[in-house]
Amino acid sequence: MKKLKNLFQPFANIGNSSMLLLIFIQIVLALGIWQLNGGGLIPSPGKIGRRVFEIIQSGNFWDNFMMSLSLTIKGMFIALLIALSISYLSLIPFFQPLAKFVIKCRYLTLTGLIFLFTLITSDGSQLKLSLLLFGIVPFFVTSFLSVIDNIDKQEFELCSTLGMNKWRTLWEVVIVGRLDQVLEVMRQNFAIAWMMITMVEGLSMSEGGLGTLLIKSNKYIDLSTVFAILLIIFLIGVFFDYILGALRFWLFPYTKIQLRSK
Amino acid sequence: MTYDKHEVILEAKNVGLAYDSKTILRDINLSIHNVVRPDVMQGQVVSLIGRSGIGKTQLFKILAGMKKPTTGTVIIGEDHHEVREGEVGVVSQNYILFNHRSIRRNLEIALEHNENNYTTTDKANIIKDYGDKFNLTEHLDKYPQQLSGGQRQRVSILQQAVTSNKFILLDEPFSGLDVLVIDKVVDLLLKISTLHELNTLIIVSHDIENSLAISDTVFIMANQPGKEGATITEKLDLMDMGFAWNPAIRNDHRFQDLVSQMKYKI
Repeated sequence: MKKLKNLFQPFANIGNSSMLLLIFIQIVLALGIWQLNGGGLIPSPGKIGRRVFEIIQSGNFWDNFMMSLSLTIKGMFIALLIALSISYLSLIPFFQPLAKFVIKCRYLTLTGLIFLFTLITSDGSQLKLSLLLFGIVPFFVTSFLSVIDNIDKQEFELCSTLGMNKWRTLWEVVIVGRLDQVLEVMRQNFAIAWMMITMVEGLSMSEGGLGTLLIKSNKYIDLSTVFAILLIIFLIGVFFDYILGALRFWLFPYTKIQLRSK
Repeated sequence: MTYDKHEVILEAKNVGLAYDSKTILRDINLSIHNVVRPDVMQGQVVSLIGRSGIGKTQLFKILAGMKKPTTGTVIIGEDHHEVREGEVGVVSQNYILFNHRSIRRNLEIALEHNENNYTTTDKANIIKDYGDKFNLTEHLDKYPQQLSGGQRQRVSILQQAVTSNKFILLDEPFSGLDVLVIDKVVDLLLKISTLHELNTLIIVSHDIENSLAISDTVFIMANQPGKEGATITEKLDLMDMGFAWNPAIRNDHRFQDLVSQMKYKI
């Protein structure tokens, strides 16, 4: 009875197994309600589930999936390099205006820039990559700068009392000291990149990709396929979110200690 | 107990600090001498005692070279040069360490900046030696977050002690610690102060009893009626009073009387 009461108490700790059970029950309930009330325009969960298996078993799914995944990983890697360079350089006054401008680019819409990017890139692959980079780098830089801004001033003071010069301080506190948070920022922004991939693939459909599949299915109002692809995209996103989170704990074990102690 | 006061090793001359038109500190004058005792490697332990919010931390930063005073200067060393940031070790109140490094690595980093250019083997030996001496051996491969507050404080003090800096400033070292841990901290500080003749610990605190019990000299910081900004209002030479270097000093009723008097002076 107390456990049941805890489910509705603010700040109550219900334990991992109870939380998993709660999630499972809520998912089953939601799917059950959806299944029972389905049958109209929106396909039922059972129908979407069957369609997911059909799509996965079809030959062209894996080609499209690999196309999207390789573009996302390539985009993430290059965006990471660009964003880290801009963020670290922002600590040097000369480069601060550049960093400030890049973070404001979050408010630029990609749609208006497609023509410009089409002109300056030579093929569809480059166009997609450029748009993806332009879309995610400002978010990466914003997150990294927030990490740097939140560093305790006393950490820099500690470095100076230990006789470190400014470059060594930058290395120890900002670069090495925050590597774990780089991975966390990557994890958070992977979602944005994964979300944008379907959009940029729609702009250049010749090479395929999950975005292309989605747009084609939308065009023919094949809603069970649309929902099935959405579900696949969602599950892959959740899987990578988990992998990046686990990778962070594995590479930087102290982050787990910090979380536990909170 | 015989002792001699030799050369001045740190001096604050007419130090003042103001923000806009508000005076925080004024006319701070204090000097710390190298205290020499026969047959003892005797460093210095000096306390700056004052109420919370009076400007102790500001003076702390000025003494550490981390903040420029509005007026006056702080000089250190045998050549009496103006203090530079990095020449004075600082142990902050919340025991800042590199959380992404193990305790061993935290100490190694401090040793990397020791002017003696120790070899890897030397560093390992020094860390082992300090680990044994200060009960940290079993924690050397842990991360700072895995240690208790008292253990982190010990590492933080040791980290500063293994650099070449002879001066270590400690911000409220007794704050938030229970009585047993305070005794350990006092013991640690006394050990550090006797590692080198010129080792000088400057404790900034509002804890009168513990500061007095550990120090050889105490400066009282307070405001004076009708004057804006805190200054040094009194200097206690505990060596002259016979209270210094006595582990059982708290049992002396004269010492307890002094503690009571000081409560009214800050």
